[in-house]
Amino acid sequence: MSFNRTFKYLSNPESGEQMLDDLNDLLDIREISPQQKYSFLLAISEAFTNAIIHGNQCNPEKTVKLTVIVNENELSADIEDEGQGGLKNIDNRQPSQPFDEGGRGIDLIEHYATAVCYSESPAGGLKVSIKILRQKGVLK
Amino acid sequence: MNLKVREESGARIIALNGRLELTTGKELKEKIKVFCDSGTTRIHLNMEQVEFINSSGLGALISAMKEVRLVKGRLTLSNLAPYVREIFDITQLAHIFEIHETEQAAFASSESVTVSQR
Repeated sequence: MSFNRTFKYLSNPESGEQMLDDLNDLLDIREISPQQKYSFLLAISEAFTNAIIHGNQCNPEKTVKLTVIVNENELSADIEDEGQGGLKNIDNRQPSQPFDEGGRGIDLIEHYATAVCYSESPAGGLKVSIKILRQKGVLK
Repeated sequence: MNLKVREESGARIIALNGRLELTTGKELKEKIKVFCDSGTTRIHLNMEQVEFINSSGLGALISAMKEVRLVKGRLTLSNLAPYVREIFDITQLAHIFEIHETEQAAFASSESVTVSQR
């Protein structure tokens, strides 16, 4: 079982719920364990929120592109925004303090993903690539 | 997310149902601010039906905690599913929230969080 799907979302905070609805349906298959599904959704959700808020700065004229690939070895996703300087922001981020209301998204992505790669498009947008290796024995 | 609110002995008990993320977190923050502005100082969140939480949802809870502390009140949480509790542990926020196994335990306890706000 493998598939590849691409979605595009408007840069508004409500798109986060739509994205989770879309992925919940897409990943609702017995071959993916609930734990892996949760980890994958959480990591994507963090990158997606960053793309809308920090990358596209909620500009309604900009979109976030999400590509999801599922195959027998891994779950992977690319989240791409149309902002500028995202890579620099990743490099310069500071650890969050206990009472900070934000700043934990990247830490959560890096905790739940097997691998994360950050890159910039020629136009300057940030692409976050997330991979989660599928556990041995999950496939039937 | 669906919020069901009930009042018991002056406390507001909010049962959260669904996902706690950016937009629903904002809704929760606004609700708690209204309660604090109207004089409620004891707020409890029953998170048994929270199926998903991300860092935006955690941020909303931190904001709510600050709001409650401004009125010298007390915010407690209970009934966290294991995958929700894990996120509190990973982010080390389990240390700054008063988390109980059950709603009853939260109300039986008179302890308050001793971590001071920086």
